[in-house]
Amino acid sequence: MSRMPRPYVAFGFASVHDSLEAESALAKVGVLSLAIPSPRELGELCGIALRLEPADMQAALAALETAGMRPVATADISDI
Amino acid sequence: MPDREAADAPQRCVYFDHGATSWPKPLEVLEAVRAAMEEHGANPGRGAYRMALAASRLVFDARRALADLFRVPDARDVFFASGCTEACNLMLKGLISPGDRVVVSSMEHNAVSRPLHVLAQQGVEVVVVRADETGVVHAHAFEQAVREAPTRAVVCQHASNVTGSIQPIADLADIAHESGALMLVDGAQGGGHLDVDLPALDVDAYAISGHKGMLGPQGVGVLYIRPGLEARELLEGGTGGGSSESDEQPGMRPERYEAGTPNTPGIAGLGAATRLLLVHGDEWRATEQRLYRTLKEGLLAVPGVTVYGPAPEEPAAPIVSITCDGIEPDRLAFLLDRNYGVAVRSGLHCAPWAHRTLGTLETGTLRLGVGWGDTDEDVAIVLGALREILA
Repeated sequence: MSRMPRPYVAFGFASVHDSLEAESALAKVGVLSLAIPSPRELGELCGIALRLEPADMQAALAALETAGMRPVATADISDI
Repeated sequence: MPDREAADAPQRCVYFDHGATSWPKPLEVLEAVRAAMEEHGANPGRGAYRMALAASRLVFDARRALADLFRVPDARDVFFASGCTEACNLMLKGLISPGDRVVVSSMEHNAVSRPLHVLAQQGVEVVVVRADETGVVHAHAFEQAVREAPTRAVVCQHASNVTGSIQPIADLADIAHESGALMLVDGAQGGGHLDVDLPALDVDAYAISGHKGMLGPQGVGVLYIRPGLEARELLEGGTGGGSSESDEQPGMRPERYEAGTPNTPGIAGLGAATRLLLVHGDEWRATEQRLYRTLKEGLLAVPGVTVYGPAPEEPAAPIVSITCDGIEPDRLAFLLDRNYGVAVRSGLHCAPWAHRTLGTLETGTLRLGVGWGDTDEDVAIVLGALREILA
């Protein structure tokens, strides 16, 4: 199994509901996100975060702003 | 009339107990409950593996569907509870404190009157406004009571579980807000049976049963609390994400009011039912209302039957209460079940205040609740049975 690190961006939200709301908002505008266990880098060990390609970060933030949302934490991660 | 042995009793159930719970449920609801248990049985909001995410999305989708149905702009203001009783307890105990004064209708169910009794023992003043003989409360009577002293909340059901009477909630909300009071509503018989637009009603909180007119499974209810209104939570505990390291209950909605693992199969079933109501609700409510009026008009024409509640042409939730000359409601309910296969409930229907208002506290009533799945033939069967029994 590959353990090659790769860069990604993690978005953290105030609640699981908000994470799923954000996932839905991003899907509506075609920004691909992946729901993942909240990584330590977001300062929250429980809950659901969204993982995005770094190249999609600005588009994602713009889409969330349009939907009246924003992540409570973001992290640039280079890991598996 | 002699009772038949159980083996000879009618096999088909003519179900008129929708005021207690709806039956049968749409197949989509059964399928959603099955799938939630068999395919997505993980704990929602806790893990992030695919099955847990699927369970989380079931809850998320159900909440959004409920927000759509009740026109709530932000689904985070919709909370799941174990039922309307728990939702009423959170609404009342979370928003009313010792020293407060509340004004409440005389038609309330025990889900409201009992929490208020506890609050009264803790120093809350409870002022009861009497409904009229049809079970309808009048705004001017509330206005008078609210103006007598500073009031924290006006509390009223949306529709009576005894008579179906619909209360003037929007008018009461105006009265409450003009005096700086909250408008708190027990909508147990409103959700699903009525087209409920919460922003239009301008209520501060509204409790909903998931398993009556909403057609979901038992064991799930819903509470709406308007944005910005802070209620004390009933329970503290795990919420999955959000400040898990803190001993304090997180303040964000909806998790703040949903400590512990939710009833995911129940919520999934309610979500499926809600999506059906979003598509078919108008049509189903029209059928319910037509059958309700046919039933009520038919009951009024049966000699010896006293019908309580509004006139058939008046707006009402599809519930009728009756008493009959010469036979107690409990015996009537028994005969209707055993000899005709008609399922109805006798007694006080957990609403002694309402029966005190109607003058039926000593006898109770026989209650017929119309709902999804009932037919013209069902109405004809119960009317024919009553005519035969009372002849």
